[in-house]
Amino acid sequence: MVQGLILAIYDDEANLALLEEADLDAPTADLIAQSASIDILGRQGNLVPEEELEEGNLLTEVWFRIEAPDVDGNQVDGWASESRIRVREEAEDGTPIMGTVRRRLGSNADPLTSVFSEPNEKSEVVGQLEARTEVQIQDLATLEVWFLVSGEHEGQAVEGWAPSRFIQIFEDEVTGRVDRGNTGEFTTEFIEKMVNDRFFWPAVRSTAILMLIIIPTQFVLAIVMALVIQAQLRFNSFILYIFAIPLGVSDLAVGILWFAIFTQNGLLNSFLQTVGAIDTPSAWLTADSRNWILVAIWLAEVWRATSIVMVIVVSGLQAISNEVLEAAEVFGANLWQRLRYVILPLLRPSLQVALILRTILAFQVFAVVIALSGGDVVTVLANESYRQYFELRNTNVAAAYAFFILILSMFTSVIYLRAVRTQEEVAA
Amino acid sequence: MAEIKVQNLVKTFGDFTAVDNVSLTIADQEFVVLLGPSGCGKTTLLRAIAGLGMPDSGVITIGGRDVTYLPPRERQISMVFQSYAIFPHMKVYDNIAFGLKMTGVDAKETDRRVREAAELLHIENLLDRFPNKMSGGQRQRVALARGIAMQAEVILMDEPLSNLDALLRLEMRAELKRLLSNIKATTIYVTHDQIEALSMGDRIAVMQSGVIQQCDVPTKVYDMPENFFVGSFIGNPPMNFFSSQIVKDNGSVAAQVGDFKFAPHPVMAKLLDKYEGDTMTMGIRAENMETLNQPADDALRVKVLVVEPLGAQNLLTIKIGDDTVKVSTHPDLAVRADDDVWLRFPSDKIRWIDRESQKVIYPS
Repeated sequence: MVQGLILAIYDDEANLALLEEADLDAPTADLIAQSASIDILGRQGNLVPEEELEEGNLLTEVWFRIEAPDVDGNQVDGWASESRIRVREEAEDGTPIMGTVRRRLGSNADPLTSVFSEPNEKSEVVGQLEARTEVQIQDLATLEVWFLVSGEHEGQAVEGWAPSRFIQIFEDEVTGRVDRGNTGEFTTEFIEKMVNDRFFWPAVRSTAILMLIIIPTQFVLAIVMALVIQAQLRFNSFILYIFAIPLGVSDLAVGILWFAIFTQNGLLNSFLQTVGAIDTPSAWLTADSRNWILVAIWLAEVWRATSIVMVIVVSGLQAISNEVLEAAEVFGANLWQRLRYVILPLLRPSLQVALILRTILAFQVFAVVIALSGGDVVTVLANESYRQYFELRNTNVAAAYAFFILILSMFTSVIYLRAVRTQEEVAA
Repeated sequence: MAEIKVQNLVKTFGDFTAVDNVSLTIADQEFVVLLGPSGCGKTTLLRAIAGLGMPDSGVITIGGRDVTYLPPRERQISMVFQSYAIFPHMKVYDNIAFGLKMTGVDAKETDRRVREAAELLHIENLLDRFPNKMSGGQRQRVALARGIAMQAEVILMDEPLSNLDALLRLEMRAELKRLLSNIKATTIYVTHDQIEALSMGDRIAVMQSGVIQQCDVPTKVYDMPENFFVGSFIGNPPMNFFSSQIVKDNGSVAAQVGDFKFAPHPVMAKLLDKYEGDTMTMGIRAENMETLNQPADDALRVKVLVVEPLGAQNLLTIKIGDDTVKVSTHPDLAVRADDDVWLRFPSDKIRWIDRESQKVIYPS
């Protein structure tokens, strides 16, 4: 949950830390925002752990450990960049074993090639090689390129080193942009994206409409069903069995079932045609019949989830002492008065539990909606979270939706808990 | 006027007959106690009168109105339940006012009656409280106040004191008696506690096996039980029973217990004549036997098994034949276990029971 929350409101790639030196341990010089334009001022290779080489967007260079005689005739052993050595001989597995020093191009370039004590241009120079010197290649190392970049952040000029994995270099090799950051900050960006999504308000509206029509229907039905069960009629266990059937059916199956009823050649149309109510099949579940889809979802959800409310209400009813109900009867209360003044108030705790449960589940309504509307004509919040995650691959906005549902659930739960508090609690 | 008439009432639960052809008439403003052991049908009878369980057959009328199949709320009755049945979600005030509110009594009158009832039961200070943190005695008072506030002509009480502890029960018993005599309602009071029944009722209907065995004023029920069951159920200790042979002694009827012969009351002698040679059950209450510590011709010699000093009396346990008999004696009579004592049976205190019908024989 915390992770989801972080995904929704925290952009962990918002800023890139620019370091004072081309070293992961170096202190941070400045921050620069993701996608800011930058100038490339310099580059340098740095050893990286092998597992990090797999990471995308990594710019690398290879260094060889070589042995060769330097300009002074001394045999030196050190590191030189792959760009300075032309490989002449390779082992059978492709490992380079021998090469020659390239010559420097350009008139004012240093004609000599330096050999370093470590695979790093900042390390000590152990010798200078002349061009075309034959070298034995002992070993090689892969380095990640670091860039010295400059740019602007919040009106300030900033400069510092950053590893290539965060940087995108343009073709001119001297300009580029910050591809992603490595330092996060809180942001309302994803929430804004969610709210501005064209499906957001329709989803909110449908979810709200569905809640408003489903929950009251369910509660009235559930209380009536529970009273029927409580009345211990003749076929009580059979009735209970019938009532409980939907409890065993998965919600997607329920959606498909009701789809089969409402679809163009479905059971409803066949029935209406058979009794002669309509001549041609009516299309209930199309883009033009949004309200019929809502009705279908309403019916399916009421059918599916009323019995769980009933179970809770039945257990609540059984907790009411029989003598209390009889007392109400003796003292002149008719059925409605008993319900209004005795049964419902005593059912409060059960109803509260059921109401919270049902409301939270109503915010999450999904499978039935998908089955009956395909998720486009009528969409709901949970469906939008799903769409953002799987279709649009936008984890953050999906998380924002999920977080929104969570906030709504918590908010309504608190409202219920306060509103349905028993009088004793208020008095206390 | 609210005379309650029950005629030939039958109520069965499956194979079990809880109330078996019961007829009972309760006069207006009378206080009748239904007394009997558990499962005798007393509560079932009360509930049938309340309308909380339709009878299989029979007729119930209240004040001349046939209410047999009316729902409870149309019977104009009030009731106090064994477990109080107080509405836990309502304050005491609303509990007492409930019936008045349901039957449309106006707010001012409701308030007046609620306060009056609360005053009668000394719970004015509890009116604003919820019942959940109240003691059993307080709840009982609320239940009674609710029953009284209705000012119904009929009040039904289903073991209203049985959930209270002994001391509180004693206190409430007297208070309830005072209260009910003040409000002048026809009252049916169910209990299994014979002391409650004897001390409170105008009449007691003793029930067993769904049948009313005897319905009479307390003294009559105590002193002149209709049958073996009533005698053995009422009283602490219950009436003593032991076998006695009816014989002819010098041409007149006599009863023989062991070797001891004595003459029955002259009125009874005629009735016992036809039992000559038969064994009858003789019944006599513990306090009605005279205990002597020296031999007498007209007394039966018995051996004392146990002496229980009870303060106001000593209770002796003795054996007559195979029957255990309890005799209460004055504390001054010095008796110890294994002593012999002589019992004298005042002939007017002896009840004679026909072995076959188990009925006590009375001169008509």
